[in-house]
Amino acid sequence: MPLLEIRGLTMKFGSLAANRDVSFDVEEGQIVGLIGPNGSGKTTLFNCVSGAYRPTAGRVTFDGTDITGMPMYKIARMGLTRTFQIVRPLSEMTVLENVMVGAYLHCADRARAIETADLCIKLCYLEEWRDRPSGAMTIGNKKRLEVARAMATSPRLILLDESAAGLTSTEVNDMVSLIVKLRDEGKTILMVEHIMEAVMPISDKVVVLSGGAKIAEGSPGEISRNEEVIRAYLGEKFSRRLAEANARRENRDE
Amino acid sequence: MAEAGGAVKKTDTEGRIWLGLLAVLALLAVIPGAIGNAFHAHVLVLILLYASMAQSWNILGGYCGQISFGHSVFFGIGAYGAGMAMVRYGSAPWLGVLAGALAASAVSVLISWPCFKLRGHYFAIATFAVVEIFGRLFLVWDWIGGALGLDYPIMDDSWTHFLWSSDKTGYYTGAVALFALVFGVVRSIEGRRLGYYMRAVREGQETAESLGVNSTHVKLTAMALSAFMAALCGAFFAQYNYRVDPPMVVSLDMSMKFVLITILGGMGTFWGPLLGAAVLIPLQEYTRTYLASLGAGVDQVIYGLLIIFMMVRQPRGIMGFLAEFGILGGRSDSAGKEAGDASP
Repeated sequence: MPLLEIRGLTMKFGSLAANRDVSFDVEEGQIVGLIGPNGSGKTTLFNCVSGAYRPTAGRVTFDGTDITGMPMYKIARMGLTRTFQIVRPLSEMTVLENVMVGAYLHCADRARAIETADLCIKLCYLEEWRDRPSGAMTIGNKKRLEVARAMATSPRLILLDESAAGLTSTEVNDMVSLIVKLRDEGKTILMVEHIMEAVMPISDKVVVLSGGAKIAEGSPGEISRNEEVIRAYLGEKFSRRLAEANARRENRDE
Repeated sequence: MAEAGGAVKKTDTEGRIWLGLLAVLALLAVIPGAIGNAFHAHVLVLILLYASMAQSWNILGGYCGQISFGHSVFFGIGAYGAGMAMVRYGSAPWLGVLAGALAASAVSVLISWPCFKLRGHYFAIATFAVVEIFGRLFLVWDWIGGALGLDYPIMDDSWTHFLWSSDKTGYYTGAVALFALVFGVVRSIEGRRLGYYMRAVREGQETAESLGVNSTHVKLTAMALSAFMAALCGAFFAQYNYRVDPPMVVSLDMSMKFVLITILGGMGTFWGPLLGAAVLIPLQEYTRTYLASLGAGVDQVIYGLLIIFMMVRQPRGIMGFLAEFGILGGRSDSAGKEAGDASP
């Protein structure tokens, strides 16, 4: 049984369908990448899965339980935690205090919460910032704080919403190695990502959305050769030219 | 090294605040012998009372970030709890105090359940309406004395009745106990899960929810605690004044005191409410006495100017100023550390 099952998920805002009949699975222990052009409904899908929105139709099942339309905090308690695309540090609190809020989910004891928080802070390379106010950090640190905080709730599945967006190339590499580390710790990861260098090398499976609907699903290799995906990203005209150019090259090679 | 150092530093801060509280209490124990003047004693009692009121508001407004202008309602319910026990039932106030505090908690939860669906300023505006509604209700409710209020009968000075007419020593001791209770409870919450959750809700409700925090539950808990404490303060106020009537307790004026003292001292900080009261109450009482010849309301003018100055110069209040100079930790310790780090 897959850890997360999304079936026929549809989310409408008035007459605009941000998600149309999206279905896919996330297997335990996998890294699944969710990609698509701007406005293709990736974040909306995240919001529906994590409980921020109640989907118009469809069903989301987590570990065999129907979680469709459940409030976010209940879903988090079941072991599905998300991070936010636009970082949201609890600014007036220190990094440690931020992470402790997550750690307090499964224990009320202060010493144990600090212990858990410290582990997650270390995991995300934030030791240096431990006792500083989180609002004053760089974007790269804030993105890692999002991950540390989510990890502190000991989730089984983490939804990462564009964790590499807006980072320098070094920071992107750090983030990628961090995500791989999370997977090695036994976490399952569903990540929305724009940066192909971040998502393609580490994903076990990639799901592509365009215009709110799923247009492809497969291994990173399959996806990068999929014509419909190329068309969605480059537009009709350019993808036709690309195909023509490829054809010409093949003719010449013959 | 950073880890170990941090852990030690953290526990130090924790311990230091408890020690600070003990030091303040010890200081309060020796003060009365030093003053003797009844008027100064009166001012001291008021400082402790208003500091406790502001601290009870601070639970909800400062730590949890929900600005309420409705606290005079809970204050009033507490005052009437004590008043009814004394006047209607002719007994000691204690059961009435407890009943009043519990009733205030219940009322606070009932009215804030719908109000918490409103975010930000809309919650604050809704609480204004609550004061108006309860103010009217108290005025026309004959069982609790209506507009005339409740006048205490003449009774012997005693701890049983919590009434003293000859000197202020009893009230002073009572005020210190009230102060110790309210500040002790808040200090204890601050370091626990509830304290962290309240601050998380203030800093970002959606983020808190994403980490498994039931924000409605946290806000209601903070509200109930806050109202309970405010009601205890109200009961003290009634006992101290020997009477209670609606405009005395349930009014926007009274609500504003809860808010302004905390803002002046520093919202969401442990010492803020005490500092705010220690500045505003003497100002109010002494200007009222010594500048009375300048006409009524001089204290209000100074009050207003002070608040404007504060808002412009340092919205974090006196605690913010102190943090700037690296004297005390600011809101949730972090501001102070930052300032502390900055100063050589």
